[in-house]
Amino acid sequence: MKQLSVTVNGKKHAVLVNEHEMLSGIIRDKFGLTGTKIGCEQGSCGACTVLVDKKPVLSCITPAIRCENAEITTIEALSVRGELHKLQQKFVDKGAIQCGFCTPGMVMTALDFVNHNPEPTVNEIKEALSGNLCRCTGYKKIVEAVAEYASETKNENIQTIRTSSNSASVGVPRPYIEAEKKVTGNAEYADDIKVKNALHCKFLRSIFPHAIIESIDTTDALKLQGVHYIATGKELPVKFGVLPISQDETAMAVEKVRYIGEIIAAVAADSEEIAQQACKLIHVKYKTIKPFLEIDESLNDIGENEKIHSYGKFNNNIHKKAELRFGDQQQGLKEADVTSKMSFEFEGINHGFTEPHAATAFWDENRLTIITATQVPHYLHRALAKVMEVPLNRVRVIKPFVGGGFGGKSDPFPHEIIISHIARKTGRPVRVRLSREEVFLTNHGRHPSKMTVEMGVSKDGFIKVLDADIAIDGGAYGSFGVVTSYYNGVLLQAPYKLDNFGFRAFRVYTNKPQSGAMRGHGAVNSRFAVESLIDDLAHKINMDPCELRMKNFLDSNTLTVGQYRITSNGSRESLQKVMEQSNWKNRIQKKKFGKGLGVACGFFISGSALPIIWNELPQSVVHLKVDFDGRVVISSGASDIGQGSDTMLAIIVGEVLGIDMDNIYVLAADTLLTPVDMGSYSSRVTFMAGNAAKDAAAKLKEEIINAVSAAKNIPANELYFSESRIFSNDKTVEISWLESIEILTAKRGAVSVSGKYISPKLGGDFKGAGAGLSPSYSFGACIAEVDVDTETGHVKVLNIWGAHDCGKAINPLAVEGQLEGSWHMGLGQTMTEQMKYFKGLLVNNNFLDYKIPTTLDTPEIYTNIIETVDPEGPFGAKECGEGAIHPVIPAIANAVYNAVGVRITKLPISAEDILKGIKEKKKSTEKISA
Amino acid sequence: MITQKLYLKPKSLDEALKSASENENNFRFLAGGTDILVNKFQGNDAADCLIDISGIEELRQITKSENYLSIGSLVKLDELQSHSEICKEFPVLIEAAKAVASPMIRKTATLGGNLLCENRCSFYNQSEWWREAVGYCLKCDGAICIATGGRKNCFSKFVSDTAVALVSMDATIDIADIKGSYTVKLEDIYSGNGVNPRNLDKLALIISINLPMSQNYKSVFKKLRQRESLEFSSLSTAVTLNSKGKIKIVLGGVDPKPVVEEGTTNENIEDLITKITKKARIVDNDVYSREYRKEMIGSFLRKSFKILLD
Repeated sequence: MKQLSVTVNGKKHAVLVNEHEMLSGIIRDKFGLTGTKIGCEQGSCGACTVLVDKKPVLSCITPAIRCENAEITTIEALSVRGELHKLQQKFVDKGAIQCGFCTPGMVMTALDFVNHNPEPTVNEIKEALSGNLCRCTGYKKIVEAVAEYASETKNENIQTIRTSSNSASVGVPRPYIEAEKKVTGNAEYADDIKVKNALHCKFLRSIFPHAIIESIDTTDALKLQGVHYIATGKELPVKFGVLPISQDETAMAVEKVRYIGEIIAAVAADSEEIAQQACKLIHVKYKTIKPFLEIDESLNDIGENEKIHSYGKFNNNIHKKAELRFGDQQQGLKEADVTSKMSFEFEGINHGFTEPHAATAFWDENRLTIITATQVPHYLHRALAKVMEVPLNRVRVIKPFVGGGFGGKSDPFPHEIIISHIARKTGRPVRVRLSREEVFLTNHGRHPSKMTVEMGVSKDGFIKVLDADIAIDGGAYGSFGVVTSYYNGVLLQAPYKLDNFGFRAFRVYTNKPQSGAMRGHGAVNSRFAVESLIDDLAHKINMDPCELRMKNFLDSNTLTVGQYRITSNGSRESLQKVMEQSNWKNRIQKKKFGKGLGVACGFFISGSALPIIWNELPQSVVHLKVDFDGRVVISSGASDIGQGSDTMLAIIVGEVLGIDMDNIYVLAADTLLTPVDMGSYSSRVTFMAGNAAKDAAAKLKEEIINAVSAAKNIPANELYFSESRIFSNDKTVEISWLESIEILTAKRGAVSVSGKYISPKLGGDFKGAGAGLSPSYSFGACIAEVDVDTETGHVKVLNIWGAHDCGKAINPLAVEGQLEGSWHMGLGQTMTEQMKYFKGLLVNNNFLDYKIPTTLDTPEIYTNIIETVDPEGPFGAKECGEGAIHPVIPAIANAVYNAVGVRITKLPISAEDILKGIKEKKKSTEKISA
Repeated sequence: MITQKLYLKPKSLDEALKSASENENNFRFLAGGTDILVNKFQGNDAADCLIDISGIEELRQITKSENYLSIGSLVKLDELQSHSEICKEFPVLIEAAKAVASPMIRKTATLGGNLLCENRCSFYNQSEWWREAVGYCLKCDGAICIATGGRKNCFSKFVSDTAVALVSMDATIDIADIKGSYTVKLEDIYSGNGVNPRNLDKLALIISINLPMSQNYKSVFKKLRQRESLEFSSLSTAVTLNSKGKIKIVLGGVDPKPVVEEGTTNENIEDLITKITKKARIVDNDVYSREYRKEMIGSFLRKSFKILLD
């Protein structure tokens, strides 16, 4: 240990540090300045950026001792006396903050940049920020915020806080209610919360993909000073899984391991370093057995070999077969004048949220409490009760601020269960945070997939048939896989009218980290296939691909072939919008070889109409409480993971009651204090929790009306709520919000009301009819423009024009952010992202090699919100968080085809394949002309 | 169990060399540290003593003599662009420096450090646990090269982008070790052995990088990468033409050392390209395939020559 003297945010400190400790750790643990985030620990994400002697450094790769006598500035020092720095204010106002985990680093980097470059161009800003990764925003609003700050600073013309920032009105853009907390570094994420006297937990993970565990010897590890407990699989034998039908996972491997990276033992010690050291002293004897690493292998009979999971009546590793057929596909093929059949391959994709999983668990008189980065407190609540074998009323799950999820935090996880167990055994709080490598091993990302899809159209461009044969790689466990299997197929039955439609989807187990739900769940890859085929068919019948799509769109207020009830439908408006904005009609005609435009459409569910766990609870419940002070407390189990759902709830309640944010407080996602909400997945929160909030607000309004009406002797239907006043048109009543609450609470006290949302009964009565049923569907379209280097095959995406029908934008600023983030994530899957394995071992398990697009890789994005006002959505709203990812991926691939005539059938797009394709094409045209 | 770690901060070159010789078997010089500290995090670098040379002022100067511009080894990659002589005479160095990692890293990483950036391979730049799972390769005390499926040579990639540009301009470096100081051609410090990619004495420090003046260099630098930031090289090429018609081609990212070929404007360009492509020992240790990177050598060089000779 060495003494380090350092000035941090103006205050002098002398602390003892380990010689090789990094600055990021000291800032967070010794100074408690947790605004500095750790996202990768390898200098690849920028979340840990701080200033040392006024120069920005990546604190995760800066030795603490290097900073002797230095002056360190962290995000916490930027705002002075409660007043945000003007750049911070810009980030807030422009909606540049979603989950907020990358925000402190982004702000520090941008601030230093603008100080040195007071008049930057947009490209210079993008260049400067290109070492700071953001997974939520697609960078668009961040770059805008920095540009505006720079130009206003130059002109000394900084606009102060926007007038709208206090508003809670539907359709009025506003920053997230917690944006200031995030931009100042004060928002506490799971790893920022310090529970005193906590032990640190680290895991020993399997180095084999498929092996019998013969013995685990913890003797040496237990001797290490500072080690308090070592848990192994046998202590936690109860199986769990997010779906009731896939309870196939234990917290640690029990008798055998099923993937490289599976947890075998867990050490709780005084420090992370000791726990890590102890893991190396645990000796495990394995007997390896044949691993299954590829889809094809797992589909087939496996002979004498051992299956990955013993259950199931066939001698293969198939987890689920889903098949549905409507109409007559054979007949459809006959009716089609032109058909096209293609096979596609997709690599696995990881969510890439910037905040690694982290949690702390402790037991007290209320039994288990866990604070954890989760999208599904309710499902975790149930899983913990089951595995810990305690009644449901002995578990409390608290979701703090969460640094992104995208489906990657929507299962109960082994680490959450293990620390709960060790906390019980040791009587001490136990905390854990995963390294980025462990996050990748935990995975639950998009399934690697293979599919063959066939479609046919008539000469005049009507789709006659769609048939899909799909196989998806689930990895070692079930997760959401049964749903994913269905979604791959059923979510192809819109947005086009289909009479003859069928699919068969297999999900197989392999000895790899498990796949699960990820943004656009299940249908992203199969949508890619369908939109590529439509492009091909349009080409074959010599029809504009936009026109072909226009001809086939389903109408509003109709049923699909699989009996989905389509209500509002903005497909046409979406496509029309991007066609106009990109000048499609003029530009598609005259183009140069190497330059191309592509189009695609999509649709998605606004929440699943059926709950995962079959029961009679409403899908969402929201409580409102108002007391003498006039503040309405919204209590909801919905999980804001950066998508802005807390703000959405506040706006809805504010709109109904005519009050602004000063009178609203959101209390969310604590299973002890808030009513059950299923969680943040399947794009359900705005529709379902939003409706529950609206229902609750309407009930509270009625209470107030009744009270005021009685007190003031005025008919209830003459009272109006607006701008924090309650009034009648004839002015006999003209009181403030607070006065109305005084009337309401007189002789009664605080008033609580409960609102709920229950989906209407929907769908057919055949097996599998429930998959993909939703009370409402979103629709959208994208056009992309690319430039392909015909000598290298390298693709550059130049522009993305996107439009998405979200029904009604409750908060347009947040909706834009969701759309831009979706398109950016789709760009990543198209261009650079893939989970690469070598014999079952994930090769690119860090943010250097798993390539999320940087600012420089992100093209100009044109964002269009289409509003169709859904009849059942709250104020007409439906989903906007996931559906937008569907069209962007095939739009880019179709643009590549348009540019160079090479059809993309594998993702990510490989420059190598394109170059090969260009050469083959050249050869064949030369042959023809010869 | 947890061994004593040292972090030394010498103020002078002599002090640095002295500290190094005192900890001879277990130390690492740290300049910016952006490469070493990541390798340390992953357990690839286990040195218990870190000698942080970033405070040695004498290594941060840029000086000009009649024949050479000398850039101190601790000049940061980001600082190169603010030096007018470099901008004027050697713009390709700035271009290559800007191709390194991300803007944030370039504010810490030094030119000398980049020249000594450790060779990379998908099977080496991994955590200790990962390398155990894959069965340790040659570069981390294993018996075989995993990337090639069992060969007894290590083909880890040489990835310094600035070295590719500097070698193409005949840069030399001044080195100090315990015996004194001397000057060598930059390309001569690279051994071509992936396990120990440099010929340098363990105690040696680069003092400066020297570029010959008044050569009227015309250069083109190119880098194959998937993203436009945050990327090590899959292939870097630099072609430099001097006023006498000498051509020097350098490749990075395709061999354990920079691959060099010299020629003149009188020679057939395609012959030069064939010669240098043959020299590159490319293996499948990158996100792009071996075949593609090989093909891109020709493609990049043709593009470069087009710019230079047209």
